[in-house]
Amino acid sequence: MNWINTLTPWQWLLLAAIPPAILSLYFLKLKRREMVVPSTLLWKRTIEDLHVNSIWQRLRNNLLLILQLLFMGLVILACLRPGWSGMNRVGERRIYIIDNSASMSATDQPPTRLDVAKAKVRELISDTSSDDVGMVIAFSDRADVRQGFTSDKRRLLDAVDSIQFTSHTTDAREALRAAAGLANPGRTSFEDNKDIQVADAVPATVYLVTDGAIGDLGEADYGQLKIEYLPVGAVDTPNLGIVGFALERNEERTEEIEAFARIVNTGKEHVDCTASLYLDDVLLDASAVSIDGGQETGIRFEIQGIERGKLKLELDHSDGLSIDNVAYAAIRPSRQIAVLLVTAGNTALQTGLKTTRVQQIASVVEQDPTFLNSPEYAAAVADSQYDLIIFDACSPSKMPASNTLFIGSLPPEDIQSNDAPSKWQFGEPVSPALILDVNRLSPITQYLEMASVSIVEARSITPPETGTILMTSDSGPVFAVAPRGPFQDAILGFDIVRPGPNGTEMNTDWGIKRSFPVFVYAAVENLGGGITQASAPSVRPGWPIHLTLSSRADTYEIVDPKGNRTTIDRGPDGRFIFTQTDTPGAYEVFAPGLEYPVELFCSNLFSSSESDLAIGTEIQTGAEMIAATDTTIRARQETWRWLLLLGLVLLMVEWVVFNKRVFI
Amino acid sequence: MTRLDSTSSLTSQSPTTFASSQAQGPLLSSEMMAKLERMELVTRKIFRGRMKGERRSKRKGQSVEFADFRNYVSGDDLRFIDWNLFARMDRLYLKLFLEEEDLHFYALVDDSLSMDFGTPSKFFVARQLAASLCYIGLCRGDRVSISTFGRSATPVVVRGKSTAHRMLGYLESAPCTEASPSMEETMRRFCLKNTGKGIVVVITDLMNKSGYETALKMLVAREMDIYLLHVLSPEELEPKLVGDLSLLDCEDRDRRDISVSASLLQRYEQTLNAFIEQARSFCNRRSITYVSVRSDQPIEPLINEYLRTRGLVR
Repeated sequence: MNWINTLTPWQWLLLAAIPPAILSLYFLKLKRREMVVPSTLLWKRTIEDLHVNSIWQRLRNNLLLILQLLFMGLVILACLRPGWSGMNRVGERRIYIIDNSASMSATDQPPTRLDVAKAKVRELISDTSSDDVGMVIAFSDRADVRQGFTSDKRRLLDAVDSIQFTSHTTDAREALRAAAGLANPGRTSFEDNKDIQVADAVPATVYLVTDGAIGDLGEADYGQLKIEYLPVGAVDTPNLGIVGFALERNEERTEEIEAFARIVNTGKEHVDCTASLYLDDVLLDASAVSIDGGQETGIRFEIQGIERGKLKLELDHSDGLSIDNVAYAAIRPSRQIAVLLVTAGNTALQTGLKTTRVQQIASVVEQDPTFLNSPEYAAAVADSQYDLIIFDACSPSKMPASNTLFIGSLPPEDIQSNDAPSKWQFGEPVSPALILDVNRLSPITQYLEMASVSIVEARSITPPETGTILMTSDSGPVFAVAPRGPFQDAILGFDIVRPGPNGTEMNTDWGIKRSFPVFVYAAVENLGGGITQASAPSVRPGWPIHLTLSSRADTYEIVDPKGNRTTIDRGPDGRFIFTQTDTPGAYEVFAPGLEYPVELFCSNLFSSSESDLAIGTEIQTGAEMIAATDTTIRARQETWRWLLLLGLVLLMVEWVVFNKRVFI
Repeated sequence: MTRLDSTSSLTSQSPTTFASSQAQGPLLSSEMMAKLERMELVTRKIFRGRMKGERRSKRKGQSVEFADFRNYVSGDDLRFIDWNLFARMDRLYLKLFLEEEDLHFYALVDDSLSMDFGTPSKFFVARQLAASLCYIGLCRGDRVSISTFGRSATPVVVRGKSTAHRMLGYLESAPCTEASPSMEETMRRFCLKNTGKGIVVVITDLMNKSGYETALKMLVAREMDIYLLHVLSPEELEPKLVGDLSLLDCEDRDRRDISVSASLLQRYEQTLNAFIEQARSFCNRRSITYVSVRSDQPIEPLINEYLRTRGLVR
């Protein structure tokens, strides 16, 4: 026997108060009919034994009271919905998939499209029979199963009520895959290549409640799923939205920044409005926007003499969707990377560090290897004065507290080992070496073309377990990077130049190849943790962002547009990942002990499909087109609650009438 | 009081009672009186009367009923000398005859408020019974004394058929009264006032909370021929009650709350049977003839058959 609660706590309290109320009414309201008799002599003798005057005796003899209490007991029992696990048929399975993407906050159907969708699903849930089981999934660009299969309508309704707007884009595929997983259970293969279905397929009806901006659902096979598409929203809802907003620093005049925005009009009418640009919530500039129906346009602002700040572009236009009328961008503070080059002389490397691009992002200090033994070096290292130290054919006695790049030299003993997997291991020099593979996933080596590079002598390098091999030669890895606490160490297994009998001689012709300055720039940019672009990166709400931050701190604090602070830690690969980007706006990253943000990034919708509020009349799933179902659903209205209430009222009235002897 | 039967009582707004109405016709119809004239009261004992009547007396007198002989003494009436015996035995004997005297008949009718219930009321039936018995007595020349409990100090004493109208007038005008004394007080007063012997018929419902035993014992001590006519109404014998009731005693305003159920009615029936059986047993042990009367029984078969089998009339 099991029980399903159908009432809320306060409803239970109300119900539980009724039996005591009946009892108290019995005691308070009991009026006896007076009757004159010849003598009470015999009655006195009769009732002496029965003690009918005792309170419990009254109860025992009152059939009406017992019937009323029995009635209430049955009502309470019915509200508990008693049942048992038997072989009874499970009713229809229904999956309610509700869109809560940004476009569902449109107000063309008041109060919002999401509220209309939730009301529709509530009607559908009320319409189900007690055997039917349902499931609630909310989706935007990801699926969120709010309530697994249950026949408890109250839990389904609570799950529907709990769905809120998000600022995310729309992608129904994941939600439908989750639903299909239940309707088409997985198969498992055995060694003899026989597929065994692990569970019976369960047909289910999917009610997809969305405004239709879900695009093509692809070639997925939804097999046992019967998809009912219930569109919400008014047809032809005009909307103006910003679908792009970016900043660019002028190449020639670095103090000048240009802001570009792309605005789309998804309605049919021509719209004239104003776009206002705010810097830290102070109006900076404005521009008139004139755009025809179904067209898009761009606007441009020029900003001068601003080092850093948060920009907000707002369209002064009232339409169905307000979230896409605002876009955010941020001007990043330009910060120079402090690079120390320790070399006895390496023309190729020195030239590579003197390119305009490197000079824009880094200030390079050059020292010869004797500097490593000076007290100035020790002091500079202790203060983390340098973001990146490049050791060219030399090595310090102890690893510094900064990122390092070793070229042709071996790091100090403290990070080396012959067998420990957590330490670097080095092979013997091999001559010649041929580069076979370059890691295209790493930002340091992704653009390098090494096929034509010749190397006289190179040694193989095995990074620790946490490291990443960036370049592999015919004799093994020759370039790798690995984290060391908050820092990163990159070690190149061959020299660019090396001392020879006639002074220095070239160990490789890489230094004169076009890919070498690219390598130097990428190494400085990525190992130095510097910021090179004026425009802060932007992500869609809810998407994760990878932050390239200085390795001087292990943890950073992020302040979101609402002012909430979140601390992020360095990931195992040395990078910082932040995922809580649900709120559109500008986010600031603070380093410990610094008052100004070291990095900025923004969260923007920037989705043409979300800004387009037109309702899809059909959706495509593979080769099948699913037409919209009638948007008005004829749901059966439940009346049993009212009947139960009426029964209770009648019970009370009957009691009052009985006691007042109105008709007796 | 409102007249209500058991069904209509359920819809009444006023306090429900078992009381009956007053107008219920004459106590005795002419046909009934004609039948009663052929009856006579029967006593199991021979009592001394005061006047010459139709009853044999313990006293010797001038009836035709021979009693004894005794020796002649000087001065005796010569007409009663048995001359045949003188011829045979040559001695004078005087013949003695039993005296025929009248019978004293007392009727005591309970007029307490509890008698004023039922259809017809118990009091009406009690008065009918008393009138019937008194009329039989009057027709036979007996001395009839009739009184209610309330007016036991001033009974109506009548003799002869011609005084029947006084007797009937007394009974017809008698009301049930709240001032009716208790049965014990009534009997005590009766015994003090009536020293003679005779037949006493007590007509009551015995609904006396102080008990009836002491009162009856007083009568037993007077060595009278006692008849107890116990009148009960159908409402008392088979009460048809429903619901939650507050029963109010019409005499002492005693209140009893009951919730009627089948088990309660069953228990009441047991109590009633025990009450009747107790009264019957009490009477039997003391040579009191107990006669149970239902108030809804017709009076004629009651007198003709019921009381005849009980030996009160013939």
